[in-house]
Amino acid sequence: MTTLTYFLLASLLLLAMGLAGLITRRTLVGMLISVELMLNGAGLSIVAAYKSIAAADGVLGQLAALFVMGLAAAEATLVLAMILVVQRRFGKVTSQDISILR
Amino acid sequence: MQQATDSMVQTLLDYLKQPLSALQEWLAPLLPGDEWAAYLAFALYVLIIVGGGLGAILSRNLIRAMLGLVMTFLGVAGMYLLLASPFLAFMQLLIYVGAVCVLIFFAVMLTHNTDGGEESRLPSVASVAYGLLALLAPLAVFGPFIVMYAGRVPVATPEVEGTDKLGAGLLSSYVLPFELISIILLVAMAGAVYLAFRGYNPKSDGLNQ
Repeated sequence: MTTLTYFLLASLLLLAMGLAGLITRRTLVGMLISVELMLNGAGLSIVAAYKSIAAADGVLGQLAALFVMGLAAAEATLVLAMILVVQRRFGKVTSQDISILR
Repeated sequence: MQQATDSMVQTLLDYLKQPLSALQEWLAPLLPGDEWAAYLAFALYVLIIVGGGLGAILSRNLIRAMLGLVMTFLGVAGMYLLLASPFLAFMQLLIYVGAVCVLIFFAVMLTHNTDGGEESRLPSVASVAYGLLALLAPLAVFGPFIVMYAGRVPVATPEVEGTDKLGAGLLSSYVLPFELISIILLVAMAGAVYLAFRGYNPKSDGLNQ
């Protein structure tokens, strides 16, 4: 058990909590919150691995985490637009009610 | 008179330091090496992350869930500080707390999903069961792997790399991912604007056609 183990277990907790939230939440907004939790876990595990392992390049890990943050921001923007469209079309944003594609 | 005051201040300072050093002595055998402060900070950040995360996934009020998410972001920023990446911790606060949370807040506000919304009802038993399964599955699948194999990799104490190295990396070795993420952000922004304004009727409130 090294420090890497502890950091990876912390990011695993984030992933598990995000997945549980994704399953139990009813609305798209709650699911977006859960996805952000999971993405945070991903970033944390990347940085933990690259900064802790002796042979790894720490700069690369930080840049990868920055890319994850950029992708998370892009994803949140798109999901906000989708939530707006769904709200206009269906009147509510629960995942149960959005079942037609047309 | 001056000397008396000085010695009084000194006694007071010693008295104030006493519980701290007692705590240090008490904790020292429990913690490996003299890195006990780092372990203490790590435990604190894990508590913040778990508390915030549970609030984010369990709260029946989406605004409170978002506040739990902010708490988790702060905990992860602390983890980045422990991993000797202060720039990442700063970016975590700037991007997640500053931008993503505001987006989520707008989403909550625009869908009228605050207090008596869809999420305020308690979830069904089946949904709770699936949620528990989803909580335990990653722990059961990845947990043993991490405990068994992550300890075998030789680790080193992380050191702070300056932002100059990050910038040099972005403009030399990793210039292609950098350009790619710019394009992705541009496309995402254009797509979001197109989606949000398609079929927009200025006479209505924008939410109901």
